[in-house]
Amino acid sequence: MASADHTRDPCPYVILNDFGAAFSMGTIGGAIWHSIKGWRNSPPGEKRISAIAAAKTRAPVLGGNFGVWGGLFSTFDCAVKGVRRKEDPWNAIIAGFFTGGALAVRGGWRATRNGAIGCACILAVFEGLGIALGRMNAEYNRPVAPVIPDAPASGSTSAAPAAV
Amino acid sequence: MSWLFTRNKEEEPTSKIDSSELQVPTEATASDILSGSEFDPAKLHPLADLDKPLDYLLIEEDALSTLPGDSMAIPSRGWQDDLCYGTGTSYLSGLAIGGLWGLNEGMKKTKDITSTRLRLNGILNGVTRRGPFVGNSLGVLALVYNGINSLIGYKRQKHGWENSVAAGALTGALYKSTRGLRAMAISSSLVATAAGIWTLAKRSFTKRLN
Repeated sequence: MASADHTRDPCPYVILNDFGAAFSMGTIGGAIWHSIKGWRNSPPGEKRISAIAAAKTRAPVLGGNFGVWGGLFSTFDCAVKGVRRKEDPWNAIIAGFFTGGALAVRGGWRATRNGAIGCACILAVFEGLGIALGRMNAEYNRPVAPVIPDAPASGSTSAAPAAV
Repeated sequence: MSWLFTRNKEEEPTSKIDSSELQVPTEATASDILSGSEFDPAKLHPLADLDKPLDYLLIEEDALSTLPGDSMAIPSRGWQDDLCYGTGTSYLSGLAIGGLWGLNEGMKKTKDITSTRLRLNGILNGVTRRGPFVGNSLGVLALVYNGINSLIGYKRQKHGWENSVAAGALTGALYKSTRGLRAMAISSSLVATAAGIWTLAKRSFTKRLN
């Protein structure tokens, strides 16, 4: 199954990394998205200024939402790994369950339950896709048994093989 | 539930492998391995490069950042690590500071409310109002600062306090770039000072560590 990923840092520290990565992704993506949206949704003559204003007000908020989601997910992922002592797709699904629940906790019990289950389902789909893609890649790189040449006739062993 | 929890089944390894035993004293070559067999590596195919020490699979971590100059607060594999860790740490500390501010504010505002539910809601509103605001601002500042700092370091091929201060000044100017020159100058100098203090603090910290 999934093994430890050595391109990522060990567990408590990777939370900070994931927080920053998710926040950066959200902020940069939000800046692009909201500047285009602000440009399109404003009358001619105010397009430039409203694009900047929209990006300034909305991009950090989107980044914050992304960052909180990613950081919370990473925290729960580390906690689940610590409890289960295992690396497999269930980690991400359980962490997604807790993340979705924690983010919806102010909306009441029903919202918490729905958020948790929905988030776990999304992550289950992600993990399933990851496994499917991994299988497909493995299929492309299936190890092929090398063609073994016929054994040389006995008696010619003293002669050095010219080229193997 | 055994598929979910494995802690109980975990066994301690009975004998620890001494790490000194694992180290190969010299690099093996093809002739070491083929000695004793009928094959002479010198007569095998010349393109195979069998005279050199053998290559093993490379299982080491990625190389750490090799730019000379300022030492890092944590080991870094490059600008992505700097960016992610810097942004994440700033965002999280901003969230914590803003959360405390909002907590304080919410406590003060809801002093007269007797209902526990309403009071809790008011306090939470205060926390969620101030926390993300401070966190987002600090996070964006750190994002831009780290990006510019890495860019300057890449262009100059070294890190140093000048880089940090320049990156801080540019970040501050960009942060208030829609408020006019005066606000830009003020925020620029503020962020540059903060960046300089951070560099000095980091330097003294890592020096004490080494």
